[in-house]
Amino acid sequence: MQLDEPHHSAAHSRDNVAAPIGADEAARALKDGATGAVVVAGAAVGLLFLGWLAFYFLLFVPRGPIG
Amino acid sequence: MADLGSHPSVPPLRDGLVPRQAVARTEKRWLAIMLAMLAVMMAVVVATGIVGSLHPSSNVEVIDPVTLHLKGEFVESNLGTAIEPDGSATVRIIAQQYEFVPRCLLVPAATPVKFRITSADLVHGFMLPYTNVNTMAVPGFVAEVRTNFASPGEYVMPCHEFCGLGHQAMWANVRVVPSEQFGDLGPTGRARCDTQ
Repeated sequence: MQLDEPHHSAAHSRDNVAAPIGADEAARALKDGATGAVVVAGAAVGLLFLGWLAFYFLLFVPRGPIG
Repeated sequence: MADLGSHPSVPPLRDGLVPRQAVARTEKRWLAIMLAMLAVMMAVVVATGIVGSLHPSSNVEVIDPVTLHLKGEFVESNLGTAIEPDGSATVRIIAQQYEFVPRCLLVPAATPVKFRITSADLVHGFMLPYTNVNTMAVPGFVAEVRTNFASPGEYVMPCHEFCGLGHQAMWANVRVVPSEQFGDLGPTGRARCDTQ
């Protein structure tokens, strides 16, 4: 890529952007709820929870009490 | 692929596309998951706290910061590491702007170590790397924490409570030596780095 070329994001090209859908199609996709969003949020929260458990049991507890 | 026309902007979808029952069901499930996670975390903390006797350092002991250097256990000759009759070590430290006294602590490895620290002026922080020791040094109070260094090494010990313009330079060192090398306590009977 030439440095003097103007920068465009990937979304600049229509080939990289999903086609907009109509209201009926969207309603059909969402009839059982926003499952994709739930999956993404669940994965993020699940990883956070596993991270908490890992810090607690692999770092905090082995270092022992201080009192 | 739908024709986007000359501009890629399209009118937003209308509100209420997701059925109300689906939203309510998702919210209930999410709430249940959150409550379950909180319950697990609380159970873990309480169970390990009871089993391992984990608790915050709760030593409440007052001391007069005005006469700290003149009498009592924090006079200069008594600072450093003392070995108790049971073989454990007691380290006495003063925090003051902008240094810890002694500047370098010498402690034995694989030995119960009790730190007693107070401040001569304002609030300082006291933490030891690779341990759970982390407390404040508050003028007028003696903080007491216990730990056990598993292996020898040289550690830094920064003040972690902002205490003034020289705060970032307030460091001390902790030199952990094998317990069999921890011999000479020096003329005062209190070990520091400069006694060995």
